[in-house]
Amino acid sequence: MTTYLEAIREGIWEEMERDPAVFCVGEDIGVYGGAFKVTEGFIHHFGSERVIDTPIAESAIVSAAFGASLTGMRPVAEFQFMDFISSAHNQIVNMVAKANYRWGAPAPLVLRGPSGGGVSGGPFHSQNPETYYAHTPGLKVICPATPTDAKGLIKSAIRDNNPCLFFEHKFLYRRVKEELPSGDYTVEIGKARTHREGRDLSVITYAAMVYVAQKAAEILAKEGIEVEIIDLRTVAPLDREAIADTVKKTNRAIILHEDTKTGGLAGEITAVINELAFDDLDAPIARIASLDTPVPFSPPLEKFFLPKVEDVVREARRLRRY
Amino acid sequence: MKKTQTKAQANPRPKQPSATGPNAKASTNGAGALANSPSRRNPHGIPDYRLEIPNFRTVEEWINGEFRYSVEGDFSAPAPPLRESKYLTKEKTIELYRYMWLNRKMEQTLENLFKQQKVVGGVYLGLGQEGCSCASAMALRDGDWIGPMIRNQGALLVRGFKSRDIIMQYMAKADAPTGGRDAGSHFGDQREKHVVAPISMLGDLIPVLAGVALGARLQGKSIACLTWVGDGGQSTGPTYEGFNFAAVQKLGVILIVENNLWAYSTPVERQFACKDLADRSIGYGVPGFIVDGTDPNQVYDVTHEAAQRAYAGEGASLIEAKMMRMRGHAMHDAAAYVPKPYVEYWKKRDPILRMEKYLLEKGWLSEEQNKALIDAAQKQIDQDREFADASPFPEGSTAGERVFCDNSVQIPFAYGGPKVQKVEKRKAGSASDVAHFR
Ligand SMILES: Cc1ncc(C[n+]2csc(CCOP(=O)(O)OP(=O)(O)O)c2C)c(N)n1
Ligand SMILES: [Mg+2]
Repeated sequence: MTTYLEAIREGIWEEMERDPAVFCVGEDIGVYGGAFKVTEGFIHHFGSERVIDTPIAESAIVSAAFGASLTGMRPVAEFQFMDFISSAHNQIVNMVAKANYRWGAPAPLVLRGPSGGGVSGGPFHSQNPETYYAHTPGLKVICPATPTDAKGLIKSAIRDNNPCLFFEHKFLYRRVKEELPSGDYTVEIGKARTHREGRDLSVITYAAMVYVAQKAAEILAKEGIEVEIIDLRTVAPLDREAIADTVKKTNRAIILHEDTKTGGLAGEITAVINELAFDDLDAPIARIASLDTPVPFSPPLEKFFLPKVEDVVREARRLRRY
Repeated sequence: MKKTQTKAQANPRPKQPSATGPNAKASTNGAGALANSPSRRNPHGIPDYRLEIPNFRTVEEWINGEFRYSVEGDFSAPAPPLRESKYLTKEKTIELYRYMWLNRKMEQTLENLFKQQKVVGGVYLGLGQEGCSCASAMALRDGDWIGPMIRNQGALLVRGFKSRDIIMQYMAKADAPTGGRDAGSHFGDQREKHVVAPISMLGDLIPVLAGVALGARLQGKSIACLTWVGDGGQSTGPTYEGFNFAAVQKLGVILIVENNLWAYSTPVERQFACKDLADRSIGYGVPGFIVDGTDPNQVYDVTHEAAQRAYAGEGASLIEAKMMRMRGHAMHDAAAYVPKPYVEYWKKRDPILRMEKYLLEKGWLSEEQNKALIDAAQKQIDQDREFADASPFPEGSTAGERVFCDNSVQIPFAYGGPKVQKVEKRKAGSASDVAHFR
């Protein structure tokens, strides 16, 4: 059994073994092994040329990774928390994302780190900033939910010729584990996965919310409502086909994400359904997302802020009756 | 003639200390004895190659109910000669001079095209700064990289782009280097010319060039990565983040701070509180230098020496080149806010005129050869303008292409691929510097 965290670590390790062009940069990733220990032991095995502790300078980390990628290297840069990606926002959306379009310079780099709440991390260690980047043409944005996908997708991201943002979910790091496929496998970027089959209603979600959907599905199953759970895995590019297919099958859709509601991906996914499967709908589309507030610190506040199993159950019953 | 344009100064800055002479206290920033070592150092021990130290400052006046800028100081000094170069041969000097002319003629043509409304968007000129752009770019080798800013169009020419490329960029044509996807000098070439395309956000190239040097080092090569930033642009966060990263990692980044006294309409007095931006090298822990940005020989030599340090793995250098932006920020800006004496003073220090005088006096060019060289540059530009004018715009429907790079593309290594030392090969128990590549 391998944890989500261990799976990511294995993925990066195997890619570094396979391809000497891959190297890691970030804060405290060397001797300390990273704030969450994703790169623990890497420096002893791969050396300090390939596991580089940097100054606390997110803008420089992203830029330097980009610069190195211009020479053919494949950097994997860690944000200590994905919240700090905002300190490098400009470099990501302007320097990196536009490079291939503007001047034909591919940027094969991976920007990765822990995101998400549920751990009382407070406003600056809990955010889900993936939507800003899903909105930026030129970036691939990956948000895995399972250890198998986390490993397969980090490997695909490292091999991809484009800048990939890899949002790990810190709540899942040590809480989910499973048997991984053996050998060198990858998971295709941009392809959703059916986490649970069902005929009555679809919950389209990703990352930690997959497990919220799963718990809701178990409750609903007892009432005879069979929920299909679509784990998007990648939020840019979105798997439009998979979204349309599940709605065509179940005719009812809930979109569930941990990011806040207004301007969140649920709006975009709703539009995709509108474009591709409007005639198949038997009920309005429901959005379940976090409150439109900063992520609060105190456990009761954060619990209220985050989408809950009850929210999914309630909305599912409502759509079923519609 | 001593010109003091205002008395409205409650607390004038103390007079610039004069040359501190050969007995000046040793550099505190690690710059050891250099070839062509200047006798002058600034109060913080930074070597200053300039042959004159202009002494004036911009002040604010309140006149007839309006604020305006005025200038205090002595503008009477004649332009000094160029400093003799330690490294430039006759041939190389003439080549540099030719690039400077090409740069200027191209920009004059861009100005005309702008007035004829044949350019899409704005036009930015490096007037008066051609010597700095061209000389610094020429001091590099083929495998080195540059990250040019808007006033470094001459550097693009030196790196092998054609003036035609730049004109087509401004005209947003299909066969321009970006095919109309970005404007003006916003283009690059990763594979051959090793030019990083700039983005508008000032200072952002600096950490990228550090990364290029890092990528090269992982492939076993110490290269020089040259980029420029303005007196205004250097105020940004990425400048600090990027240059500090380069300093810590001992990467061969050469940062030329082009202090042209103005950032759009803002004078340097509103941009930073120190006297010389080269002083910041002390804080970064890298060698720093001051040169006259209108003296191409000084710029070439100091960049050349910085490049040698980069090749030797000795890390980054910070060079402040002092000069003047001789036109507005871009064509639309008449720069009415710039006090006239500035322009008069720096006109006498035009890098092309100074270089011309130098070459003629040395006998490296005859009057006829000089004229032929200038005419050839003009002819080249005229041809390029005609070509660009006649070439088509891109097909609008291609706008959606090339957002991503296909994964079937093999991205080549710039230096043959990674050369990574196997950890096991290291001697057990061996101590090394924290950054053991130092
Ligand atoms: C981060 C950022 N903020 C604002 C601007 C808008 N802007 C473009 S050029 C400029 C002035 C730049 O002055 P300086 O760096 O001294 O360069 P110069 O134009 O004098 O060569 C400004 C404010 C920008 N390009 N980037
Ligand atoms: Mg300026």
